Amino acid sequence: MSSSTEEIEQLISQEYKQGFVTELETETFPPGLDEEVIAKLSKIKNEPDFMLEYRLKAFRHWQTMKNPDWAQLNVEPIDYQAISYYSAPKRKEDGPQSLDEVDPELLETYKKLGIPLDEQERLAGVAVDAVFDSVSVATTFKGKLKDVGVIFCPISEALQEHPELVKQYLGTVVPETDNFFAALNAAVFTDGSFVYIPKGVRCPMELSTYFRINAANTGQFERTLIIADEGSHVSYLEGCTAPMRDENQLHAAVVELIVMDNAEIKYSTVQNWYPGDENGVGGIYNFVTKRAECRGHNSKVSWTQVETGSAITWKYPSCVLLGDNSVGEFYSVALTNNYQQADTGTKMIHIGKNTSSTIISKGISAGKAQNTYRGLVKVGKGAENARNFTQCDSLLVGDKCGAHTFPYVEVKQPSAQIEHEATTSKISEDQLFFCQQRGISAEDAVSMIVNGFCKEVFKELPMEFAVEAQALLGISLEGSSVG
Amino acid sequence: MASHYSAEYKQIIDSLPGQSLGWLKALRADAFNSFSGKGFPSLREEDWRYTNVAAIEKKLFSPQLGIGTNNIDKEWLANYSLQDAYTAVLVNGRISLEHSTLEGLPDNVCVLGMADALEKQPELVKKYLAQAVSNNEHSFVAFNLAWFSDGLFVHIPSRQIVDKPIQLIHLVTQADLLTTTRNILVVDEMAEASIIETYVGVNDAYLSATVSEVFVGRNAELTLYKVQNEGEKAYHFGGTYIKQERDSRFNHHNFAFGSLLTRNDIHTDLDIASECNLNGLFLGAKRQHIDNHTRIIHSQPHAISRELYKGILNQRARGVFQGRVIVTEDAQKTDSEMNNNNLLLSNDAEVDTKPQLEIYADDVKCGHGVTVGQLDEKSIFYMQSRCVDEETARNILTFAFANEMVDKVMIESLREKLLEQLLERFPQAGVEKSWL
Repeated sequence: MSSSTEEIEQLISQEYKQGFVTELETETFPPGLDEEVIAKLSKIKNEPDFMLEYRLKAFRHWQTMKNPDWAQLNVEPIDYQAISYYSAPKRKEDGPQSLDEVDPELLETYKKLGIPLDEQERLAGVAVDAVFDSVSVATTFKGKLKDVGVIFCPISEALQEHPELVKQYLGTVVPETDNFFAALNAAVFTDGSFVYIPKGVRCPMELSTYFRINAANTGQFERTLIIADEGSHVSYLEGCTAPMRDENQLHAAVVELIVMDNAEIKYSTVQNWYPGDENGVGGIYNFVTKRAECRGHNSKVSWTQVETGSAITWKYPSCVLLGDNSVGEFYSVALTNNYQQADTGTKMIHIGKNTSSTIISKGISAGKAQNTYRGLVKVGKGAENARNFTQCDSLLVGDKCGAHTFPYVEVKQPSAQIEHEATTSKISEDQLFFCQQRGISAEDAVSMIVNGFCKEVFKELPMEFAVEAQALLGISLEGSSVG
Repeated sequence: MASHYSAEYKQIIDSLPGQSLGWLKALRADAFNSFSGKGFPSLREEDWRYTNVAAIEKKLFSPQLGIGTNNIDKEWLANYSLQDAYTAVLVNGRISLEHSTLEGLPDNVCVLGMADALEKQPELVKKYLAQAVSNNEHSFVAFNLAWFSDGLFVHIPSRQIVDKPIQLIHLVTQADLLTTTRNILVVDEMAEASIIETYVGVNDAYLSATVSEVFVGRNAELTLYKVQNEGEKAYHFGGTYIKQERDSRFNHHNFAFGSLLTRNDIHTDLDIASECNLNGLFLGAKRQHIDNHTRIIHSQPHAISRELYKGILNQRARGVFQGRVIVTEDAQKTDSEMNNNNLLLSNDAEVDTKPQLEIYADDVKCGHGVTVGQLDEKSIFYMQSRCVDEETARNILTFAFANEMVDKVMIESLREKLLEQLLERFPQAGVEKSWL
């Protein structure tokens, strides 16, 4: 193997910096799952009755389902009875009313992760909801958002304060019977973010949720529900990390987005769960169902994801384009290294007229990893003039990894225009040589090439995230002219 | 699911060829068990998710092994047979030497009915039968092995270059018939040949289930054409499974025009520095369903694969393209490209396409592209502005889209026949043959 390839490998494999554990007193359920656990969970959360019914319905359906095995993944069987379904930092009788009351240990944790929850010190306005294991510990800038009518709070709080809204929308995009992990999530989800942007409001700041798994032997099951009413706009960011542990931990989330007439949601994710060590021990199993429904005319959804973490990623953020002229976008960078496996992609379901969608997927596979793009573009009979452009590129680093592309295209409408293209290659020796010959070190040249490869996706990310994403790829851009 | 074909099997088993050969009997028994256990493939199988073959199970096509091969309309046959070729004709799944013209074939080239080959050269057949495809592939393959009543055995010895193409015509003249044929095509080291498989039949429901196993030796070249003109109510399953040795070249041209339901499998396995070109054109109208399933396995380094499939779907037709390229860990320096372009001409037509890349080696160049769309409005406008009416313009453009595939055909007489068929499909316009 050439020396340059080794250098690339060195560059890509960097230590997982977020792998520390926070010592906290927690309240954790014993492992196991049955209807009693669900009832107890619902009670702790003081949920309205309809929620308990919803959860039990989902749980009963889940028991009839089987773990899906169609993905290009090698998953160790998961013992769902060995997982604890609730873990929360112990707190005083009433929840913290302001940031001052939040356990300093927690604030310290988020500070260490680079997510200051201290409003005063923030320059730019990004409102953060911090979810720690099963509960939301703090939400910033709530007051400021309330002034313009935006609701941004933990979903457990929304169930207390706006039960009618939650009831109206929850499970309408991803029904509890949708798939194995969505059913499990519907039964046991504990927290997550709820966002409602009222008519005509352009959310004044970016909203962000930061997920942290801390406790051992627990799973994180969060639920996010975002509703953008007519003519509104919101940009939402999501980040996640977990400590380094030898056991695999399960993360099964559901995200539902609802977009009405002329509204737009931009949803960005930087997923950096613990990926396991270089021998493939430990790491998070990330089984996520994300789906957006463009219900109104001229509505728009944009998914951007940078997937660098998790031992296994199973995730297909989708767009159902119901409204006429609605737009769906999917930009993805998925990096897998060592023994990581990713099977990720998107579904674009064109139902309304003049709907269009764009898919840009960049997969980078290194070490002994397997990286799969799996996508569906479906054009229904009524979707006149539907338009799709798909580009899936894979970069291979090392001769023991795999990169796979499984697109599905189903078209029932003659006026549809569908284009799909995919390429797979390794970092070109010619390009490396060209750079080096002009005095650019191999290291910088690789940075340039990898970043150039991912640039189309990075440019879709909000500023703060774009910086984090580039850093995550483990490639320093110093001294290069690109970036 | 138990298939009622299995129940009928006992009645025909003794009249199948090669029953005196122990090894073949064992192979058939294995295949029968494999088929009986599963029945025909269902939509739940990933490779069959777009093609429903339940109708085959519902109807009972029967092998009718006793029927004669003589009453053939010679003019009808002449429509499909090429003048400048060696021709072997199978009628209702049985070879008919009477209609075949094999005179002048070099002595060492062997073109035999499969039943005859099993009698005359059982050891040679044994060397190849069921070597390019296994029963586990799917139950049609097992079904074919258990049921085959005849087929063709073509063996071209090393260094032999066959001067004229060899045409293998599969003809069905009976309604409700089941024809199950197994063909073996061997092109040995450094040999060269062109073979044309032509499938024709009456306009009644029947099932033609055929499997061809193809062996291309070291540095040999085979160009295989498949022209499928089955009757419009027919069901056609055609599997072509290829084993390529190092430095070999295999070119395939697959024209699917006829039948109500077609499923084509083209699977090839590439050795070091071998090359394959898979071309396909499928035209669907009325309620036709055409499924093309290709799989290219790059199991050794330096091999090249190229694939282009084009589909035109009109009325209520449905086209399916599934193309899979697998590059194994050892197959460094692989160069692979796949394209599938589809034209949808009506509101009720549908196309489902699924190109797949599975890559386990790093120093490779692989790509695929898919388009689904309609004729370019600008091109139509351009022609209209030059006094070509819209309908003619559309026909010319559609014809040109399809003609790209016909143009790749190297045998002139075959190309002309294909052109005639294309023009039949797009007759409304003034696309004159003389223009071409």
